[in-house]
Amino acid sequence: MAAAAVISLALAAVSATTCAAQTPQATPPVSEKHKQAIATFEGRVKEYVKLREGLEEKMPKLAEDSKPEQIEAHKVTFQNTVRTARAGAKQGDIFTPDIIEYIQLTIRDEFKGQERQELREKVIVDAENKAVPVRVNYPYPESQELIDMPPTLLLRLPQLPKQVKYRFVGKNLLLVDRENGLIIDYMLNAVP
Amino acid sequence: MKRFLASIVTAAVLLFGGLAQETLGQSSSSKNHIGGTPAGAPVRVSLPMKDGSLKFAAIGDTGTGTEKQKELADVMYRYKQAFPYEFVLMMGDNMYGAEKAEDFRVKFEDMYKRLLDDKVMFYASLGNHDESNQRFYEKFNMNGEEYYRLKKGDVAFYALNSNYMDRRQLKWLEDELAKDTSKWKIAFFHHPPYSSGGKHGSDTKLREVVEPIFLKYGINAVFAGHEHFYERIKPQKGIYYFISGAGGKLRSGDVKDNSPLTEKAYDKDMSFMILEIAGDEMHFQVISRTGETVDSGVIVNQRKKAMSASK
Repeated sequence: MAAAAVISLALAAVSATTCAAQTPQATPPVSEKHKQAIATFEGRVKEYVKLREGLEEKMPKLAEDSKPEQIEAHKVTFQNTVRTARAGAKQGDIFTPDIIEYIQLTIRDEFKGQERQELREKVIVDAENKAVPVRVNYPYPESQELIDMPPTLLLRLPQLPKQVKYRFVGKNLLLVDRENGLIIDYMLNAVP
Repeated sequence: MKRFLASIVTAAVLLFGGLAQETLGQSSSSKNHIGGTPAGAPVRVSLPMKDGSLKFAAIGDTGTGTEKQKELADVMYRYKQAFPYEFVLMMGDNMYGAEKAEDFRVKFEDMYKRLLDDKVMFYASLGNHDESNQRFYEKFNMNGEEYYRLKKGDVAFYALNSNYMDRRQLKWLEDELAKDTSKWKIAFFHHPPYSSGGKHGSDTKLREVVEPIFLKYGINAVFAGHEHFYERIKPQKGIYYFISGAGGKLRSGDVKDNSPLTEKAYDKDMSFMILEIAGDEMHFQVISRTGETVDSGVIVNQRKKAMSASK
């Protein structure tokens, strides 16, 4: 009888451990404060996209079977046009303190322990893009590699329109225009 | 005089013998075509060469514009004479460094000129050294999209952008796969979900989001680059994974010894793949820059396998 009880307890312990291991890590709920920060951030990004779409519409359309000269010319013209239109843009116009706090918490929660160490190695230690000058309204150099954004993180960060992408440079998180390559804004110390 | 005539005869035998070998290499009905490569090793196609089969090549991490990339491209061309593949999949890092107009010529068009002149199509995916604007380049055939689907007969190819696997792309992939009834579904992109590389290794975060979709919708095979070597991964949950990332760069000795993932690996020289899909079989051959075959084999379509097993 006692032996059966011990076996039952042991089986229960194993079962509990197994269930814990199989349960996926739950994403913490987003507070009302952060929901508001996300909504405001997404609104500012959409304003940028509206501006750049309006400017791009006035340019000759880039065809899907373009020659390299056409791609290069389009990019340079687009860069100059948007840079001029956003002449007063500065760091913090889009990454305001409230969204910075949310993003830092999200990255901290997404990457813990060994995974955080691996992320730091990837974006800081091993990254080949250390020479990228991080400056609003200037282009991310085309000759520099991109650090791929961790997909699980992309699922948790505020969603961006297709024209804008997140990008890591060191510990900093940038918003970069997909076509003209301009750095739209950036936040420091995104990676803990 | 006799010696002179003997020399002429010998030279004629060698000349016409060589021509006969080249002609044999162009036959569409036999295996093991013999030809010659600049590097010395003969062209030996070990694929079945069936009429009506889908023939293609796969390369990754090409865009260096170096002499070695050109040498590999030349081997690709020679193999194309014996095995007339229609198109080439590119697994990203199509251009390293600058991407000015001249760079497209130096790092791509000049390298593969003979293939391009032969109307071989290149279908590119984006790597971590590639600008998004490559999707507009006429010769990469991306239709202006960072990710796209390509259909060749009963084979669907999914070119993905593994630099930025966001919710939008995942939804697109699921929506497309959900309605895809192709016999073969193949994904190609840059970062390998499984890898024995010392420099990079498996992209586990990418795997976490794409593997469930691949399994759910029956992806048969995945081709990736990023690692500068060749590796055939042991089937993972029934899916075949290949890394072919030595099309323009090589990281010699980077494959970890005794990796539990490796079925076969080659990291001694640059390489490319040629493949043939005929019915329920996908045959592959991996050829090095010096023309050596470093891997070959056949994959049976998993659905065919499952049906056979249930009988």
